[in-house]
Amino acid sequence: MKLVAIPEEKYEEYRLCAMFDCYKWDPQFLDHNTIAKYALVLTKEEHEAVSAYTEALDKETRAAEQLINSDLSLAKPLGLPRNVKRDIIRMKNYDPDKHIRLMRYDFHPTVEGDWAISEVNSDVPGGFAESSLLPEAARQFLPEGKYYFKSFGETLVKAISSKVKKGGRIMMVHCTCYSDDRQVMQYLGDRLEEDGYHIIYAASDHLRFENNRAFSILDGNEGEVDGIVRFSPLEWLTEVKPKRWHGYFDTITPSCNHPIAIFAQTKRFPFVWDAMEAHGVSMATWRKLLPDTITVKAAKGKEGYIYKPVYGRVGENISIREACKDDEYRKIMKAVKFHPKDYLAQKRFHSLPLTGVNGEFYHVCLGSYAVNGEHAGYYARISDTPRIDSNAADIPVLVEEA
Amino acid sequence: MTEKEIYRIWAPYGKKWVDWVRPVAFVGNHLYDRGYYLQEEELPPVLFQEVCEKDTAFIVDMPGAESVYMGLALAAIGYRPIPVYNGTIEQNEAAAKVDNLSVGKALHQCADTLSQMTFEDDAPPVFLTDSNRLNQFRKHRSLFDNSWDLYAQDLPTGEYLRKNGIRKVVIVGNKVSRDLKKILYRYQKKGVELYRVKEYEKKVRIKLLRPLFPD
Repeated sequence: MKLVAIPEEKYEEYRLCAMFDCYKWDPQFLDHNTIAKYALVLTKEEHEAVSAYTEALDKETRAAEQLINSDLSLAKPLGLPRNVKRDIIRMKNYDPDKHIRLMRYDFHPTVEGDWAISEVNSDVPGGFAESSLLPEAARQFLPEGKYYFKSFGETLVKAISSKVKKGGRIMMVHCTCYSDDRQVMQYLGDRLEEDGYHIIYAASDHLRFENNRAFSILDGNEGEVDGIVRFSPLEWLTEVKPKRWHGYFDTITPSCNHPIAIFAQTKRFPFVWDAMEAHGVSMATWRKLLPDTITVKAAKGKEGYIYKPVYGRVGENISIREACKDDEYRKIMKAVKFHPKDYLAQKRFHSLPLTGVNGEFYHVCLGSYAVNGEHAGYYARISDTPRIDSNAADIPVLVEEA
Repeated sequence: MTEKEIYRIWAPYGKKWVDWVRPVAFVGNHLYDRGYYLQEEELPPVLFQEVCEKDTAFIVDMPGAESVYMGLALAAIGYRPIPVYNGTIEQNEAAAKVDNLSVGKALHQCADTLSQMTFEDDAPPVFLTDSNRLNQFRKHRSLFDNSWDLYAQDLPTGEYLRKNGIRKVVIVGNKVSRDLKKILYRYQKKGVELYRVKEYEKKVRIKLLRPLFPD
């Protein structure tokens, strides 16, 4: 794995291309440029190893969530939010063949020369355009013919097309106030329109459900929809008032993702592994790749653990001391103390940084997608600290031809 | 002009502050048309600022296209305009809360004029935002909610401002909106002086209290 620089004289053009041709509408976060000046290049062997791990993890995750869904008493250690707990009983009619299951596993190279994963983005993984169009854009600016990539978007579109009728209406459910949500939806929507689908951009409460089917109530776009692509996180969606979201849980309208995703979205997922294995579901790949994960209480007095929010996103509020600014570390530790159930402790792994052209170091988070069990491409970010958070830069992932 | 060409005029690569220019208002403009009648591009008078002061940044928080015109008027005295509009265009056929397209059209309209202006390398910034973004009243659930907030991550930090010689930030608008207050409070904590000005009044120094719900 290495960083290959976009030639400096071409970077301006590349950045414009990222913004206007690759839907990267958030190129700056505070004082940080979020479009890396590099491409991340994997060897064929690294690519094969990560994609094999991804498919193995995904197989275990999907088997576990279906087992939990068949016996909800197994979900107890997950500590799901009360709102969600009330509605997961509706998911009894969940049929994996009717829906599109999308997940992204976040890999990190370690100083031991192996891989670790930090989490699975089970519910609403993002980075659609960055993993589909940005590698192609980067390829135009790097030496020709040396690199290839798997387009995540093409794999997802294929999966959606296999479940949603041709020419159907698909609602892209997202937080319509956020342009960084819209950019994810817009890429996929534009691509699906090319294949003849009618796309409706709307918020989670623009759907109502009748007889388990989804109907749009968005002004000027009323009527049944044939597919749902959701980018509003489930734990946010269930905060919407008045309560009209329970239909998501038992809809037969093909969904990506169905709320079944919540079981693995909580970072307490490892707390059900023993029970899974007792029921014959192997979690061997998870156990190999995810560092030891325990409750805050169990971590008391133990060395080498960091704290993470149970429903954290994009690396927020993780207690890696050297990555925290100002009084952030103190605030996280205070929150851990007063709300221990909202956090968990995880054995810290040591990320192996890559070196840039001027000798600077970058830590890598290599997100690896699975769509219906098949490896579907990469979304990566790099950061000058071991915590890959919102300050990190998006970097296209390419594989070097052997 | 293409969207990229218009963006390049507003955000010439390598110049100070332009990394914060958001592409959102520039994207997809050519795909939409509401038959706007944009007023003749006539810059409003800048009665509150006679010359460019290098230690002062502005944040123009005025409705729709007016914010673009005021930004251009400040550009005429040496401030570099930095559009940070971040609202999206609604789903086709749907009624929406905010007309986010209007600023995109105004940015396009003003690009020619801006391209003829010159700026010193250390020109201080005037950040442009649309006060209509906070039209959050939703009279019916079927409306498309494309209101939006400005967040701390959309602007430079107080440290960055100070490091780059900015000691004062002036808000141009009828009020200091609730989302801006959260950002400005952080600036104040870093020692940046805050001022507010309405179009026809003098600058007034303001001190902000800690917001109830800081980000």
